[in-house]
Amino acid sequence: MQVSLRDIRKSFGAIEVVKGLDLDVADGEFLVLLGPSGCGKTTALRMIAGLETASAGRIFLGDQDVTDVLPKYRDIAMVFQSYALYPHMTVEDNIGYPLYLRKVDKDERARAIREVAGKVDLLDYLDRYPRQLSGGQRQRVALARAMIRRPSLFLMDEPLSNLDAKLRGHMRTELKHLQNELGVTTIYVTHDQIEAMTLAHRVAIMKAGELQQLAPPREIYNDPANLFVAGFIGSPPMNFIEGAITGGSFSAEGTELASPGYADHNDVVAGCRAEDLTVVAAGSGEFQGTTYAIELTGNETLVTCEIGGSLVVVKMDKDYDEKIGTPIGVSLANRQVFFFDAASGARLRPNET
Amino acid sequence: MTAQPGTLPQAKPVKPRRTLFQRVFEPRDIKSLSPARLVLTYSVLIFWSFVVLFPLYWLLVTSFKLPIHVSDGPVYLPYVDFEPSGHAWHYIFFDLGNDTFRPYLNSLIIAFASTVLAVLFGSMAAYALARITYRPKIMTIAAFILILIAVVLSTVAAKVPWQISLAVGAALFVLFLLTLAKRFKRALGNNDILFWIISQRILPPVVAVLPIYVMFQQVGLLDTHFALIVVYMAVNLPIVVWLMRDFFATIPVDLEESAELDGASRFRIFLTIVMPLAKPGLAATFLLVLILSWNEYLLALFLSTADAQTMPLLVAAQNATRGPQWWYMSVLIVIMILPVIAMTALLQRFITRGLLIGAVKG
Repeated sequence: MQVSLRDIRKSFGAIEVVKGLDLDVADGEFLVLLGPSGCGKTTALRMIAGLETASAGRIFLGDQDVTDVLPKYRDIAMVFQSYALYPHMTVEDNIGYPLYLRKVDKDERARAIREVAGKVDLLDYLDRYPRQLSGGQRQRVALARAMIRRPSLFLMDEPLSNLDAKLRGHMRTELKHLQNELGVTTIYVTHDQIEAMTLAHRVAIMKAGELQQLAPPREIYNDPANLFVAGFIGSPPMNFIEGAITGGSFSAEGTELASPGYADHNDVVAGCRAEDLTVVAAGSGEFQGTTYAIELTGNETLVTCEIGGSLVVVKMDKDYDEKIGTPIGVSLANRQVFFFDAASGARLRPNET
Repeated sequence: MTAQPGTLPQAKPVKPRRTLFQRVFEPRDIKSLSPARLVLTYSVLIFWSFVVLFPLYWLLVTSFKLPIHVSDGPVYLPYVDFEPSGHAWHYIFFDLGNDTFRPYLNSLIIAFASTVLAVLFGSMAAYALARITYRPKIMTIAAFILILIAVVLSTVAAKVPWQISLAVGAALFVLFLLTLAKRFKRALGNNDILFWIISQRILPPVVAVLPIYVMFQQVGLLDTHFALIVVYMAVNLPIVVWLMRDFFATIPVDLEESAELDGASRFRIFLTIVMPLAKPGLAATFLLVLILSWNEYLLALFLSTADAQTMPLLVAAQNATRGPQWWYMSVLIVIMILPVIAMTALLQRFITRGLLIGAVKG
């Protein structure tokens, strides 16, 4: 089902947590709300669920206005960060609870429970209580309970954040597969950019209650809308160098970058990703500096270089090695550089390209 | 992020030095104690059990004594110190007969009915106070009390028929709610309501017992089960609300929100999620309130005479013109504590901790 948010706002007392969010989620889409903690993403999700009332704005499911509809009539299933399993019920009763509430008869219910339990690999655990399950199994019970009644919308509030790293990777894959198989519109809240990039059809990045950018993961990465998005997405984070653009050229301490088509602008931040940079011999390349630290992560080497006053991280091949303090040059491949206004963080784009 | 047990080899924690308090009161395991300390521990436990259980034993042997054995000073061992006799049991069960069984049945009906009702209504109120935010306006409450006083005065002093004064009062109050009440912002919160409820219990019942007596006299309900059930329920409600609210507050809200999205109504959430999880609290509260009603004396003294007489009154009645009849009292008390012991044994298994494990932790 299609979901539309029209300028929804939420205030707790004098503090406005969500500041006018407009969002359209297409039928069957997997949308991820991504942002640092306290950015209002969970509050937005709870408003869609109906657990919080919106202070202003309208929420539409399909073409129905559900802003003032009770959660139980919205046909939404939600997976909580804490899983919220009913501790006094067995796995079977937990999964079947939504059907029990809908007065589905016993045989039909048992059949449906076995079907979803099979999907999430829980058939051997139906008689157990939540306290007898591991974290990953509890997580799957919560998923099964959400799936069993085929809701028109799935909401997930950081469902993987209580799992350990290995299990999280596995569940991510499972989630993506299940969502694709069921084709149910899903809104997923997380602060983990890897989850967002891997799961989403589109990512909505929020900061301080405002939507920063709404785009497919690739576009978010390749074409960030502002300084916040550029710095939030990517690991290691994007390198930023402060400077100014004058006469079609960006200049900072020890650096000169041709930037044709850009208007003159003081207080500019230039950003470039670690993988677009290469360490070259001193004297060549766009930037001049010295190595500051060299870290081998396994499949690559992160070289931190001191250029002018700022530290720039360069991603190199895993075989690269160099002494710390060696003068080097850094060259920019593909001219992949983004310019932002330092004050507002807005992206600066060339006039004509 | 919480690590799953077993996924990471954990370093053995350094054994912290246990304080004296911990070493005395928190033994690691009864089996790991040295023989000397084991003997000491059991001696202390046995001694304390003796202190606790001796009065019960004394009660039991007294019920088998003849008056002469009681008045000659304390003796404790049947067949050694005295020859046991069933005369008191015979008197209570056969000579008094129905005069014993009627109060016994009355006590059972009144105590259980009032306790069930108090726990039922009290936990609903407690749940509402734990989960719903109320903002009663101070001015609305003040207006209600003022209008109530005016209604009473006009009925009693000015001899206005009570139907008319009540109707006028209600109309005035509704009018106030619709108009002036909107102008006042100062409001109370849930904690104020809760404190008001418990404050009803701070007042000693002896202060209220005469007005209550007059009330039931006026409506002709003195000496009925109904009167005692209603009064006991009202007296015990604050305790139930106060205790149960804390139990409900410990239940994670996530569970209820999840049930809400699964399609449950508020009342169904209360019945199928909240109440089962509050079982330990319900059992403890039920027992406490049951014992309070079971032993209640003062209100029963005023509100019942014969038909609704309860056991505490019957026990007290044995201290009559001939002086305290200890042997009869002992028999009555022995049979009186049986239902409470039975209920405790029955409910004990619910009073366990850790029911919420597995609910919201990863």
